[in-house]
Formats: sequence, structure tokens, C-alpha cells
Amino acid sequence: MVRLAYVQLAGCCGCLVSLADTYERLLDILDEVELVYCQTLMDEREIPECDVAVVEGAVCLNHEECVEVARGLEEKADTIVALGACAATGNFMRYSRGNEQSAPTHEAFVPLTEVVDVDYAIPGCPPAPEAIERFLTLLLEGKTDLLEPFAKLAEGKTEYCGCDLMYHVVNKNMCMGCGTCAAACPTRAIEIVDGRPVVNEDRCIKCGACFTQCPRTIWPGDDAIKELVMGGEEE
Amino acid sequence: MSELKEIMVKGDEGLLGEHLGVFTARSTERRILRVTQDGGIVSSIMVYGLEEGKFDGVIAAVADPDDPEEPWKPRPVVITDPDEVLEAAGTKYTYCPNVSVLKEAVRSHGCERVAMVGTPCQVRAVRKAQLLPVGMRHVPDKIELLIGIICMENFPYEGLKTMVEQLCGVWMREVAKMDIGKGKFWVYTDDGEVKSIPIDETHPFEGEPCHVCTDYCAELSDLTAGSVGSPDGWSTVIVRTEKALELLEEMVEQGLLEVKSIEEVKPGLGLVEKLAQAKKNKNQKEIEERKELGLPEPGKVHEQL
Amino acid sequence: MSEQVEIQPTTRHEGHGKLVLYVDDEGYVERAFYLNTSAIRGFEAMAKGRPAEFVQVAVMRICGICQATHGTASAEAFERAMGIEPPRDGRLLRELCALGNRIQSHVLHQLLVLDDFVEEEKEKVEAIKRIQQIRKIGQYVVDVVGGEGIHPPNIRIGGMAENISESARKRLYRRLREARELMEEQHEFMREIVERFAEENDLDLDEFGRHDQPFMATHPTYGDPERLDLDRVVEVLPIEYYGEEHKEEAYEHNGQIPLYDGVPVEVGPRSRYVVFDGVDPRGVLYIHILRSQETLAAIDRCLNILEELNTSGKTLAEWEPRAGTGVGVHEAPRGTNVHIATVNEKGIVEDYRIIAASTWNFPVVEKAIEGEHQEYAEVIMRCYDI
Ligand SMILES: Cc1cc2nc3c(=O)[nH]c(=O)nc-3n(C[C@H](O)[C@H](O)[C@H](O)COP(=O)(O)OP(=O)(O)OC[C@H]3O[C@@H](n4cnc5c(N)ncnc54)[C@H](O)[C@@H]3O)c2cc1C
Ligand code: SF4
Ligand code: SF4
Ligand code: SF4
Repeated sequence: MVRLAYVQLAGCCGCLVSLADTYERLLDILDEVELVYCQTLMDEREIPECDVAVVEGAVCLNHEECVEVARGLEEKADTIVALGACAATGNFMRYSRGNEQSAPTHEAFVPLTEVVDVDYAIPGCPPAPEAIERFLTLLLEGKTDLLEPFAKLAEGKTEYCGCDLMYHVVNKNMCMGCGTCAAACPTRAIEIVDGRPVVNEDRCIKCGACFTQCPRTIWPGDDAIKELVMGGEEE
Repeated sequence: MSELKEIMVKGDEGLLGEHLGVFTARSTERRILRVTQDGGIVSSIMVYGLEEGKFDGVIAAVADPDDPEEPWKPRPVVITDPDEVLEAAGTKYTYCPNVSVLKEAVRSHGCERVAMVGTPCQVRAVRKAQLLPVGMRHVPDKIELLIGIICMENFPYEGLKTMVEQLCGVWMREVAKMDIGKGKFWVYTDDGEVKSIPIDETHPFEGEPCHVCTDYCAELSDLTAGSVGSPDGWSTVIVRTEKALELLEEMVEQGLLEVKSIEEVKPGLGLVEKLAQAKKNKNQKEIEERKELGLPEPGKVHEQL
Repeated sequence: MSEQVEIQPTTRHEGHGKLVLYVDDEGYVERAFYLNTSAIRGFEAMAKGRPAEFVQVAVMRICGICQATHGTASAEAFERAMGIEPPRDGRLLRELCALGNRIQSHVLHQLLVLDDFVEEEKEKVEAIKRIQQIRKIGQYVVDVVGGEGIHPPNIRIGGMAENISESARKRLYRRLREARELMEEQHEFMREIVERFAEENDLDLDEFGRHDQPFMATHPTYGDPERLDLDRVVEVLPIEYYGEEHKEEAYEHNGQIPLYDGVPVEVGPRSRYVVFDGVDPRGVLYIHILRSQETLAAIDRCLNILEELNTSGKTLAEWEPRAGTGVGVHEAPRGTNVHIATVNEKGIVEDYRIIAASTWNFPVVEKAIEGEHQEYAEVIMRCYDI
């Protein structure tokens, strides 16, 4: 059985709650893996060697332990998954600047993808429960070809945020105004005006959900959809 | 075998997308046909589904032709009352972000079985949202039916307005219906006037993003409706999933739909295939040309960053 | 001679923590330090110079378990700063949204503490299943009302982004009635396992983990800044609180320590019952039972709100930025959550302060642990849903 560690860095626990929001299916999911570490759910205090490390939260470069844990993952885990925008793309922590009374020197927060060699990154704040479940299922079934997009995102080329949606979809003449980005945005920062997205920068936290969900940026292939969605599985 | 299964035929799946069968149909209700674009298939399904509790919400596009600022500009709506379905009937030839209200449907409306009508690209967007629902918490399992509409292209609002007001010489707010067919773009006014321009003249106003789309028949829908292939007032229907087939069979049985074999009508399935092929060829070429310019391929943006 | 024991990281709670215990020969704790070792993402500093709207969205990400409370306290702070009055139905929906969150958060906590009380696998699995059913309904409330179950974006400065449909209202009502039944069972279960635990370990429920700190709460179901006298609140640095002789511990604690009238005060479910119902259950394990009871009360209040709500009422006030300072107080599942915002005439944040619910309880946890055997240190800490 796959040994899975759930590691929490500088995050909010929301990604784990999202996993828990699979409700009645949570126990089934946990039956499919051997959970070897998860500070919020169990008493194991050391991250053991494992097959998969699912990591939530950003890395605080000013927090020794945080950096150590992050760096140690390459040794400990065969596959590293950055779950959620904090670990995947940086999220609103791109705005962190330090100088907080409680710990004035904690100012450099970067996504895990900038610190270690991450295999897969799943944006979103948090990623939907169904997305986490789908990801884990595909990973366990070894359908890694379908996970290619997440491997690409792990290269961390950009935040894949509302700005990227403009630069790489709208500016490239590819937005057909479906409105998916607006629905996907967890802060409701996007409004479709005259058939194209307008991103309200005051609400955008750079979570990457819009870019990732847009059908024009990443297309998983018709076959996968026919097999996994239309094949009756969801119905 | 049901009446529907008997008359259904299969076409070229490479062009139409995988399907169980194709046929021609129209609603048997005058109140529906009076306001719908073609055979009123889309609206009939929505009314029936809501009345029977198969859906508890449908997503469609509503436009107000009398809006003083922007007549005919569609906005997506979530409809839960079957009596309101017909307010959204008819084609609006401009972008309407139907998918943007998908979450609203399952959130503040509390819907659990949603049907959505959409252009091929919108149907694709929802399918991807079901497969990889990164930003679509609790949405995937609430999609009950995706009704695709055949689509060659769409127009930005100002483009459409130019076509109507400048090329056809009709004010938008006077327009009762617009249509594309028989090589022309047609405008019907409230006073019963009919204006048209050759389809070639509309090309400059087409939305460019439509030119990287090679899906004519909404290949990932549960069922698709379009005007092409069937006579005026009838719709060509492509059925893809068992769920859609069952629903349509019920509607035929209850006398809500009148159906014919598409082989009995003109211009027939051949034209659908021909146009599907044309769209695929033309837009595939466009994608290749874009690549030469260093522009990203749709669906592969993340690979090219 | 006292010996020093360290437990790091503490487990089965949100965030990162460490316990440093000085214990006597028999293992009884003479002095306890409960230290927050999380990296400080710096929400207060991040807020400065950013638009109010961004800050209200960002601060929800302080905690993924109780985001609604931060969203609410923040919105309330900005509303008071800029003189904005949310419409009645917006205010009701906001309370409803956060109560949905209270339901899911309270029972999630019950899931996290299961291992403290239950050994038998079957009993555990049954409990988890029931908890997940209740959580599902709590989250359904937040999804429908707040727009997303986690970090609900409908909570806005000025009220709520949208109302819910009449059919959504009916569905919520039905589901919450289901939740009530499940929760009654769960409440019974919590009482049983806590009592069993006390009995098996020979603990006096009224004495175990007792402390003599005061209790603070501002409202049973929402939050009320009128009941929080900020002049009596100070936030001190750990070094001031722990003193030079414990500077090692002090430096490890990331966070300030809020005091009321100069002393630590307990916040949370028990405090709300003490302040508003006049009960005085001193043993720490009672908190589990009261949290459970409070979940039932939260469900009841949700049902009331749904009866009161006008689903066609206005939910969001329009507003213009205006300079000012405002205090937003919301009773988080864990206790009194305070946000204080100062904005300029353009609506840009000039100063932002947060006293998150858990921070009040950190020093109280220490008091509760002191005098008990070290083996119970985490059990006591977990009574507090840090
Ligand atoms: C932009 C566009 C291009 C089209 N191009 C072709 C074509 O090339 N060939 C062809 O055969 N058919 C085309 N159609 C489809 C055709 O116009 C009819 O919609 C289809 O035949 C269904 O007819 P009906 O009578 O069943 O529809 P109705 O019962 O009238 O229902 C149509 C439904 O579509 C929704 N709708 C209308 N406009 C839009 C929009 N812009 N975006 C999303 N939803 C909308 C309406 O709200 C309504 O629910 C196109 C449709 C659109 C919107
Ligand atoms: S991505 Fe969002 S939900 Fe996940 S840890 Fe970060 S802030 Fe929390
Ligand atoms: S626009 Fe929305 S979805 Fe996109 S990055 Fe910003 S917050 Fe995330
Ligand atoms: S999801 Fe992509 S294609 Fe659809 S409206 Fe947004 S940017 Fe445009």
C-alpha cells in the first residue's frame, strides 16, 4: 500500500479540510493509502520515509524548521505533491512582507515549488475536494499521463493567476467567454464583461484556480473525459 | 424498440463526435415553437426536466431586446421555474458566459441536478470541470445534463450590433429574431420585416477565439441540437449518452416531441458532416498558423509558458 | 527537582505548537509553556497599504477551519471604520454562514480528539461517519450561504454578496433538521466518552484541569464589540509575560499574548456558557461537552434565522471609502476573535490588528495543564481546540 504523508508548512489547514470535505468518502480514500504522517489527524511526530508526500502551505525562508522540513522531503518521499496555492503557486503570501510584531523577521514566503523538486502541483485555494480525490485516485492507479498538467504546473513558471489568464488566454486571442474562470475563482474576483473576464485585483489572491480551470489553457483530452466523466462514473 | 431508436441513424463520429444516433425533431407545443430558435428541442427538454423534477435548475441565456442600453445582450441565468424557461428561448449570436453561473446554481440556488445549455466550448469547459474540478468544489456531481448547441462561430456584441445595425440597417431593439441559415445571416424585425446579408459579410465580425475551436457539434454533450440538416422549424438532434436517450424517449412517448428520421428530410445529415468538416479544417489550419507565429495552442498553454 | 519535558510538535490541532513542561518527580506539571511555533505569515503587516477588500479576503486564510469568523470580524471592522450598515438580511445571512462553520468546526474538533477517548476501531469509525455527516450539513450551509465551504467569498464589507433562493432556504431547513438529530446522538456520545475517560482514569470531572482564570465572551452566536472593552485589553510580548528567567521559551513563542485586565482569560464555548447562561463548570473536560451542546444550539439558531430571513431582501449595502478605525468582533468556534482596522479616505488600510481566538487560550492552556500529570498535557490542550 502506498505510504502517504500529509505535511503542513505555512498554510491554513484549509486544504486538509477540503480533503475532509469528501465527507462519507474520506474513510474510503484513507483506506486506499497508508497514512503515515499528518500532524492534524494523528500523533506521529516525525515525517517518516514515504512514497508520496502531499504538502500544504508555503515555505517561510526565515523559519529554519520550515525550510528543513521542506528540504528533507526530497530525501524522504518518492513523489512530492504541492497541494493548494500556498504550496503550488505562492497564493496571497506573495504579498507577505514581514515586520509583524509576533515574528518580525518572517517575511520571505515562497511556494514549495521554488524550494524543492516538486512532482505535481495543484493550484486553488483550496483545491476542491473532488479535485484532490481525483488526483489521488489517478496517482494510485498510476494514470500519470492524465496528471501531466499538474506536473507541468509544478515547474512553477508563474502564479497561473488572474493576470496570467489575461496574458496567456485573452491576450492570445483564445478566450471564448465561457465564464468558467469566474465560477472557479474562490474569491469571486472575476466578472465576465462583454464576453471576456475582468479581474478585480483587489480580490485576486493569486491562487491559480482560474487559469487551471480554463478549458483553453489546459485540455486533458477528450478520451479522459469520455472514460472518466461520461462513462457513467459520475452519474 | 422505441420509436426513437427505430428512426435514429448514425453519422461519421469523427465529425459529429461519438453518438448513439441522430434524428430530426420539433416540439409539439405551439407556445414553445412560437419563441424558440428552431424545433424548440432545448427549451422543451428544460421545461420537461424541471416539471418532472429531473432537474432542479437549468442554465440558459436571457436577453432583453428592449434594453435601452444594450438590447439583445444576453446574460446567463439559473432557472428553477419551468414557466420561466421560455424567457430564455432563442439564439443570441454573441458570447454569453453560461458557465459563470454554474456555481451560483449549486450554491445560493441550492440546486443538486443542474442542466445547462451551451456552445461546444462551454460544454467542454463543464466536462473539464467534472474531470479536474480544481476550482469547482461540489460542482461535478450536480451536473445532470449538458445540452450542446451546434456552433460554427460566435460574435462579440459590438460585432453583432454592427452586422445588424449597419449591414442590415435595423436597430437592435427592433429585432425580433436572428438566424443563420442557407448561407445568410437573417434579421426578423418586430414589424415582420426580414433582412439578410450573405454569411461572407459576417466573417470580419466573428470572434477570433472561435477560430481555434474545432468542435462543431458539441462532441462532449449528452445531446446536441442544431438547425443545420433539418428543415425550417425543426432541429437536428445528436444523442450521445444513455441518460439523454432515455429522456428523449420519454418525451416522445408522452407526445412532447415529434420526431422524424433525418434521412427523410432535406438537407439531411450530409450537410452537418460537411460543415463539421469545414470547421475542423479551417480552424485546424488557423491553429497551425498561430503556432508558426509562436502563439500558444489551445489546451497547451501551460506547456508553452 | 523538576525535570523538563518537551512535546513537539503537538498533534491533532490546527497550526504548529510545542509544549514545554516542568514536572516533579511523580510527573506532575509544575509549570507549563504552550508555545506557538508556526511561521508567522504576517497578515497584519501584509494588510498595510492594501485595499480593504483585499484584506477582508486575505485574512480568511488565517485559518482554514474557521475562515468564516475571520471574514466576518474583518468585514465588521471595516464597516465600523467606514460607517457602513449592512442590511438586516445580510446580517442574518452572515450569522448563518458563520454558524454553519461553527457546526462543522466543532464536530471536526470532536473528530480530532477521538483518539484521546476511544480505542475501539468500530466505535471510532461510527463516530467518524456521524461526524462527517454533520460536517457535510454544516458545510452545506456555508457553501450555499457563503459561496464556498472554505473561505466563503460572499461575506463582504457591507453585508453578503447575495441572498439565497427560497428553495435553498427550504433545503437548508430540512438538512439542518437532519443535523439536529445526528447531533443529539453525537452529543450523547461525547458526554459518554468524556465521562468514561474520567472514570477509567480516576479523574474528578469537576477538578481535572481546573484553572481560576476569568471567562470572556461577547455573544452566544455572533459577536458584539460593545461587550469587549478594548481599553482593558493589552497584548504583551512573550518575554514580558514569561519573564527573563524563561527567555528561551519566550523566544520560541511566535505571537503576542493578549490579556484582559492584565490576566489571561479563557474564550470559547465554555466561556460563552459561563457568561450567558451563568453556569460554572470548572473541570476542563466539560469544554468538550459544552462544545457539543453549543453545536446543538448553533443548529437551533440556524433554524431560527432561516425562519426570520427574507430571501428577497437586500443583503449588501453600497459603500464609499471613508477614513476611520473600527473594531470587528466575532465569536469564532474557538472564542472571541477581534479585528481592528484603520483605513484612510481611499479605503486603503493604514493599520490592522488581529487578536485571533486561539491566542487568548494559549496561556490558559498552560494554567489548565499545571497541577495535572504530564501524560494528560495534550489531552488538556485539546480541550481548547487551538
Ligand atoms: C452562437 C451560436 C451559434 C450557432 N451556430 C449554429 C450553427 O452554425 N449551426 C447550427 O445548426 N446551429 C447553430 N446554433 C444553434 C441554433 O441556433 C439553436 O440554438 C439550436 O438549433 C437549438 O434550437 P432550439 O429551437 O432547440 O433552441 P431553443 O429552444 O430556442 O433554445 C436555445 C437555448 O440556447 C440558449 N442560448 C442562446 N444563445 C446562447 C448563447 N449565445 N450562448 C449560450 N446559450 C445560448 C438559450 O438560452 C436557449 O436556452 C448556434 C447557436 C448559437 C448560440
Ligand atoms: S491554499 Fe488556501 S486553503 Fe490551502 S493552505 Fe493555502 S490558504 Fe489555506
Ligand atoms: S482571479 Fe481568482 S481564481 Fe484567479 S488567481 Fe485570482 S483569486 Fe485565484
Ligand atoms: S475560462 Fe478561459 S476561455 Fe473561459 S471565459 Fe475564462 S479565460 Fe475565457
